[in-house]
Amino acid sequence: MLGLAFETAIPHLISARSLIPNLIVILAVDLGLRHHGVLPAILAFAMGYATDALAGSNPGLNAFMVTMVFLVSYEISSRLLVTNAFVGATVVFFGVIATALGAIAISAGFNALGNTGSILPSLMLQAGISAIVAPMVFSILAGSKRIVGLPARTARE
Amino acid sequence: MRSSFLWRNRVLLASGALLILSLHLVSTGVHPGDLAARPESAFLELIRPIDAAFTNLTSGFSSIVNDYVDLVHVRQENAHLRIQLAQVTSDRARLAELEAENRHLGELLDLKDVLGLKSVAANVIGSDATGLSHTLILASGESDGLLPGMAVLSNQGVVGKIIAVSPHASRVLLIDDHNSALDGLDQRSRARGIVAGMVDDGVILKYSDRSQDIRDGDTVVTSGLDGIFPRGLLVGTIKSVRREGPGLFLRVQIAPAVEFKRLEQVLIMTQPPPHIDDQVKG
Repeated sequence: MLGLAFETAIPHLISARSLIPNLIVILAVDLGLRHHGVLPAILAFAMGYATDALAGSNPGLNAFMVTMVFLVSYEISSRLLVTNAFVGATVVFFGVIATALGAIAISAGFNALGNTGSILPSLMLQAGISAIVAPMVFSILAGSKRIVGLPARTARE
Repeated sequence: MRSSFLWRNRVLLASGALLILSLHLVSTGVHPGDLAARPESAFLELIRPIDAAFTNLTSGFSSIVNDYVDLVHVRQENAHLRIQLAQVTSDRARLAELEAENRHLGELLDLKDVLGLKSVAANVIGSDATGLSHTLILASGESDGLLPGMAVLSNQGVVGKIIAVSPHASRVLLIDDHNSALDGLDQRSRARGIVAGMVDDGVILKYSDRSQDIRDGDTVVTSGLDGIFPRGLLVGTIKSVRREGPGLFLRVQIAPAVEFKRLEQVLIMTQPPPHIDDQVKG
């Protein structure tokens, strides 16, 4: 909820929206890479649905995209030998772009993707900033998980 | 049990089921009163105090901080005067903020009188969580009489309409969002069209016949035919008209009258506009 408050309050105060990292995608990637179970999948869906309550006009759209990011991260994590911060940052980078374009394609139709040329640079910038911030968020999450006694990494790691 | 197909693929199956549920929600939509609308309303209600606190903190402190920067150079003044000055500066910043707020509310009050319809003012406390859609979060909700579908205006013109409400917060779909549409009218030529947002931040007038005499600089107002906005409210001015290329309709771009990023207070019409016949006669 704090992440969402950050995502809604800050853009209202500063005009450069693309400088704000996409925390929801970062959290979904963290869930997918490190937590393999049904509950994390539900949590990813819930995060997306919470985003829907505060973004756009198509309830379920962000729930779909965030669950998809979780699923892709989970699949990547299941197939790679090591899922370190670099892998996480890479997934976040592509996750932010894919989430945005996917949301536009579903809500406005695939033809609308042809009009995304002007928003692509800012989208790439936001994806880059999210990818840079992601390792820090992962380590903060790992630290807080250790504090509350949850496993910070998957058993394979 | 742990080696069974279901257990091995539990994450995939659960994710698949959640993806199907999401698509179901997207395709059917969520209507006010639905079970699926309750979590949405709860999230909006939860986020309201946090957003309001963020907004209050930053708007007040930014002007105080700016005034304090000037104080850095006043090294010779004694501590007592400095504290007094800081107090005065702080008060001045607060008063300036109140003055600006009063001015905005005064302008909204004028608009309210002009419209002659029941309406309430609300503070803007947040914007869209993803930035891909163009929505705002307001610090007023059902308890203030707001309902989905109500028109939202500012002293500059049409802002959008309410799409979701919780007891003490609501969300507005701005007219420059790609899912927004309202019935518009070129004030000079009386040519009608649908004012719609674009994915790349523009606003266009759709479905205007090629034979229509729409020109750059014309004023676009609401037609009143959509039953949400009263007739004659300012939407924006025509930025460009393209007649070349294939197709039945003109390609008309509009510069919205409202600066959406600078909105602080808005006016929500809690009473639907009168029937279009009455508006035209009036």
